[in-house]
Amino acid sequence: MTTPPENATPPQSASPSQHPARSGAAPAASASTGPADPLFGTVLVANRGEIACRVIRTLDRLGIASVAVYSDADAAAPHVRAATRAVRIGPASAAESYLNIDAVIDAARATGAEAIHPGYGFLSENAAFARACEDAGIVFLGPGPEALETMGDKITAKAAVARRGVPLVPGIAEPGLSDEQLVAAAGQIGFPVLVKPSAGGGGKGMRAVHDPAELPAALASARREAAASFGDDTLFLERLVATPRHIEVQVIADAHGAVVHAGERECSLQRRHQKVIEEAPSPLIDPATRARLGEAACETARSVGYRGVGTVEFIVSADAPEEFFFMEMNTRLQVEHPVTEEITGIDLVEQQLRIGAGEPLALDQEAIDARLATGGHAVEARVYAEDPSRGFLPTGGELLDAVLPAGEGIRVDSGIAAGQRIGTEYDPMLAKVIAHGSDRVQALSRLERALAETALPGVVANTGFLRLLLAREDVRAGDMDTDLIDRLTAEADPQQLAQPVTEEHWRAAAVALARSELDQAARDDQGPPSPWAVPDGWLVSGRRDTVITLSRAAGSGADQGEETREIVLPAAALAAGDGSAPSAEFRTWVRRIPGAVQATVWVGNAAFERRGAQTSLEPGAAGQRITAPMPGTVIDVRAADGDEVSAGQPVIVLEAMKMEHVLTSPGDGVLRLATHTGAQVAVDEELAAVLPPEDSAADNPGPGTPGSDSPGSGDRGAGGPAQEQPPAGEGG
Amino acid sequence: MRPIGHPVDESRAAPTRARHEELIGELRERSARAALGGSESARTRHTARGKLLPRDRVHRLLDPGTPFLELSPLAATGMYDDAAPGAGIITGIGRVSGRECVIVANDATVKGGTYFPMTVKKHVRAQEVARENRLPCIYLVDSGGAFLPLQDEVFPDRDHFGRIFYNQAQLSKQGIAQIAAVMGSCTAGGAYVPAMADETVIVHKQGTIFLGGPPLVKAATGEEVTAEELGGGELHARTSGVVDHLAADDAHALEIVRDIVAGLPPKRQPLWPVREYAAPAFEPAELTSVVPTDSRTPYDVREAIARIVDGSLFHEFKAEYGTTLVTGFASIHGHPVGVIANNGVLFGESALKGAHFIQLCDQRRIPLVFLQNISGFMVGRDYEAGGIAKHGAKMVNAVATASVPKFTVVIGGSYGAGNYSMCGRAYSPRFLWMWPNARISVMGGEQAASVLATVRRDQVEAKGEEFTAEQEDALTAPVRAQYEAQGNPYYSTARLWDDGVIEPADTRRVLGLALDLARHSVPEPDGYGVFRM
Repeated sequence: MTTPPENATPPQSASPSQHPARSGAAPAASASTGPADPLFGTVLVANRGEIACRVIRTLDRLGIASVAVYSDADAAAPHVRAATRAVRIGPASAAESYLNIDAVIDAARATGAEAIHPGYGFLSENAAFARACEDAGIVFLGPGPEALETMGDKITAKAAVARRGVPLVPGIAEPGLSDEQLVAAAGQIGFPVLVKPSAGGGGKGMRAVHDPAELPAALASARREAAASFGDDTLFLERLVATPRHIEVQVIADAHGAVVHAGERECSLQRRHQKVIEEAPSPLIDPATRARLGEAACETARSVGYRGVGTVEFIVSADAPEEFFFMEMNTRLQVEHPVTEEITGIDLVEQQLRIGAGEPLALDQEAIDARLATGGHAVEARVYAEDPSRGFLPTGGELLDAVLPAGEGIRVDSGIAAGQRIGTEYDPMLAKVIAHGSDRVQALSRLERALAETALPGVVANTGFLRLLLAREDVRAGDMDTDLIDRLTAEADPQQLAQPVTEEHWRAAAVALARSELDQAARDDQGPPSPWAVPDGWLVSGRRDTVITLSRAAGSGADQGEETREIVLPAAALAAGDGSAPSAEFRTWVRRIPGAVQATVWVGNAAFERRGAQTSLEPGAAGQRITAPMPGTVIDVRAADGDEVSAGQPVIVLEAMKMEHVLTSPGDGVLRLATHTGAQVAVDEELAAVLPPEDSAADNPGPGTPGSDSPGSGDRGAGGPAQEQPPAGEGG
Repeated sequence: MRPIGHPVDESRAAPTRARHEELIGELRERSARAALGGSESARTRHTARGKLLPRDRVHRLLDPGTPFLELSPLAATGMYDDAAPGAGIITGIGRVSGRECVIVANDATVKGGTYFPMTVKKHVRAQEVARENRLPCIYLVDSGGAFLPLQDEVFPDRDHFGRIFYNQAQLSKQGIAQIAAVMGSCTAGGAYVPAMADETVIVHKQGTIFLGGPPLVKAATGEEVTAEELGGGELHARTSGVVDHLAADDAHALEIVRDIVAGLPPKRQPLWPVREYAAPAFEPAELTSVVPTDSRTPYDVREAIARIVDGSLFHEFKAEYGTTLVTGFASIHGHPVGVIANNGVLFGESALKGAHFIQLCDQRRIPLVFLQNISGFMVGRDYEAGGIAKHGAKMVNAVATASVPKFTVVIGGSYGAGNYSMCGRAYSPRFLWMWPNARISVMGGEQAASVLATVRRDQVEAKGEEFTAEQEDALTAPVRAQYEAQGNPYYSTARLWDDGVIEPADTRRVLGLALDLARHSVPEPDGYGVFRM
């Protein structure tokens, strides 16, 4: 076994910030624990990406050897390079690697790790894993399996905390309640209330009632609707939490029964329950409420004998900020833990390690409260590989570069590096950008600027959307709720949600592309620069401009298309730059296909394409016919006459020369079949036509005669639906 | 190598510069007018169809910001009632996908892009440039074929329309890529440009190729057919196989052409390496201050050389012998060159020196640059007796048969046999350019007039009559006028006696561009004719 060296005492710097300048800003929580406490010699980090890197950073600082685990997809990932050692635990699939308990335990045994840090996600809240660690004699840096199990189930969790007097959303949910009983209960629950049918879901039959006088009528109509919809008119009542805000409290509990809280975080900016921007403290919460919230959170932790760091989530109505209700407890380190670290100066990972090593808490509540009172404000933004202009679909690609912000009050937790392939196997979060300031205004401004200085060329990311959120009046005013983003994305034009692309971006892309073409030519030239390579637009008489054609994805959903622009560059624009480095937003990267005109240009986070010869003919332009490439037999027709077909869709299967040839639609439109299964066809014979939708509408005499209008081929099948009237003599 | 040249003497330079600037102003004005192509209404009709103007097509084909060395942009100036600016065709050399190519683009805004005699000559000349320098050819076709009213001057002769296709076949055979993009009509004989090309692009619903258009088909067979059905992109890309690529529009067609060029095999190994070089110590723009516009004004041509060659460094050969011809070694944009420049009338010694120097450069595989400002060979009994004819013949022989690339810039006068010995057009320099102040004719107008007057005076006086001053004036004035008009560089460039009129300040750049082309294609030396000793 590895014995921790005598001098394994951690440096007394607890701030997790990357910036040395700030590392002394707050004293370490462990400052008073004394130098003699050995922690661990080796700790395995059972995770990947930014959280693995972040945990390793603290391990490094404390002089603890780190072991990374990785799947085949992550063999060259930053967390693997950051760790002292790394162990492959399986193929790309998370189920076979990061979720594989045996593989992780084996890796820990093989490397002599005394403890495992699970990060978040993957195995972090898995009771079986916690037990497997126990069985293997390895410290699991999290709570005990019982706490994981109790808090892992919402019903047992609520029952546990209710016994300790932690407030739950008031309501009544018993079978067979009459209207009178419900009206009576409503008085205790408090208005506004939500009437919910016992059966069904999806909001059907639900009624929000703000005025007690309206409740009887609402109950009657809800019962009718529930009976009609579900055949069950049982109704429940619950307090309606209007304008709900997500407030959570960080708790820290040692193995000796001490529990403290480190203040709250607000995470109301969520998109479909996925947190986007988090901050600490909450602009909604006053010190008195904070104290009550904190106490409720500590009670929650005590209810399950919690050990380690954890988070207790509450729902609070913006209309009644002094009232809060327990939602659930997250029994792990949270993604958004850095905002708490920034305002308290506590390294939560270090706390996990000390607690795991059996140390008692070094800070009491009073000391933490004092830090909170002067800790300022921190805001975190999650940079995801997703495209806001396309319904936030996950993106991916190869990072051409990773330009991350730095500077006063800026912290970045990331697990990415230039050249890395971002796949869709794992969580799409690329980085967390955290800004700390003396107050909320300063923190928000710093975060906005930091995001402007972030460029992740090669992968479409949501930085533009984050900046858009931060620029909103309501967000600036702290006036948020958990539905804000969903309302915004439902109402806004998807294009408005993405990085705004200006004339300046187009121009920068054109210049970058032109310069890259010139650079390529210069590399191909031998010797000193050829006069043919001088980009000053020289003509026998006069000077010429350069026109660069670029395209860019535009629109979304059905309107998805491309915007193409011709950018005119005067000769002077191509001359060597003045040497000043552009801001991250206007830095450019060009990826070229060698020997071809096509290229991709990134300007900051915006991608532009030079299509070159790849440009396709306008849809509906050319040869919207399907003809037989050789003589043969039609053995399958995969779409019916009159069907809407899209470009590339298989339509006809032809057997010829003992091979099957799948003939696809040349474009989008309405199919007009001119053949049928079993037909013998000649080379170049027209088998079908694809008509543009508007033409086919004019072509079609009416809905009563679908497919009766056999298309242009004339020489067969004319006069009736092809499937009903196969030409004679071709049945065999 | 020795530094040459002196700072401009401002006290004397100003009038010269002013005169040059006036001439350059005229050149720019003429060039700008010709560059427009057809009438405004013709251009509007053209662009309204979604077509790019031919000059825009050429520029888009080129690598960003890179030069276009246009050939004879003022062709047909003053000809055909000035109805064919640039002879209705743009030709030149430019870099496409990193590769220098000859580009030939019809201008459909000029009489539908039909071929006048000068159009044919310009097209064929461009192909000659391609052949000599082994440059891929890109034809941007948009032409109705021969200009029918002048069919006798366009169709039948050796260097007429048919020569274009003959050249395409020959060039293709030599491995010089022939690429065509059909961006408009391509009728009758014109149909062979894409058909003879190695790889052809057509613009969908815009380009058409047919031997006989719809009216001719109707007249011949009664068949009624649209141009698109008869020879559109769809037909030729999918059915006839006359074209290889279907493009959505002009811009797309040009991108496809760029892609084609990107895939061509590399250039041949150059004959000479390009060395690191320094800019001239004296600005090329000062050429207008040091070279008089009147070729009769004496000056030292070394001042011109100093403003053309790298570092203004010159290794002069035989500086003390035959001093009316300056010869020596230098480099231009890192290319080694042998410079031959006139510094007065040619004597027997100058001609011998020139012949020697040409042989020397040929032996060493160094290209030759001729700076022409020559009134002719010296005349007179002593000189004839001294064998000036055979000495001149030796230089002409050497110029005619030297196998290294030759380049000629007429910076002053180009008269008589001086034109021959200084590599005039007939001696096949790779390129020949004129300055706006240049003059070219068999002899000076003044000399021609006085020769004529002398001959007539002798005749008149032989009859015992008197040849009055008035009679002499009446006889010589039209001669002077004729020589003035025909010796003008615009008269020359209209007829493709040269490859264009350039601004003096561009001389160094133009030579650098040309040298860079030429070095990839230099024939083996194969001796000389019999030198008359």
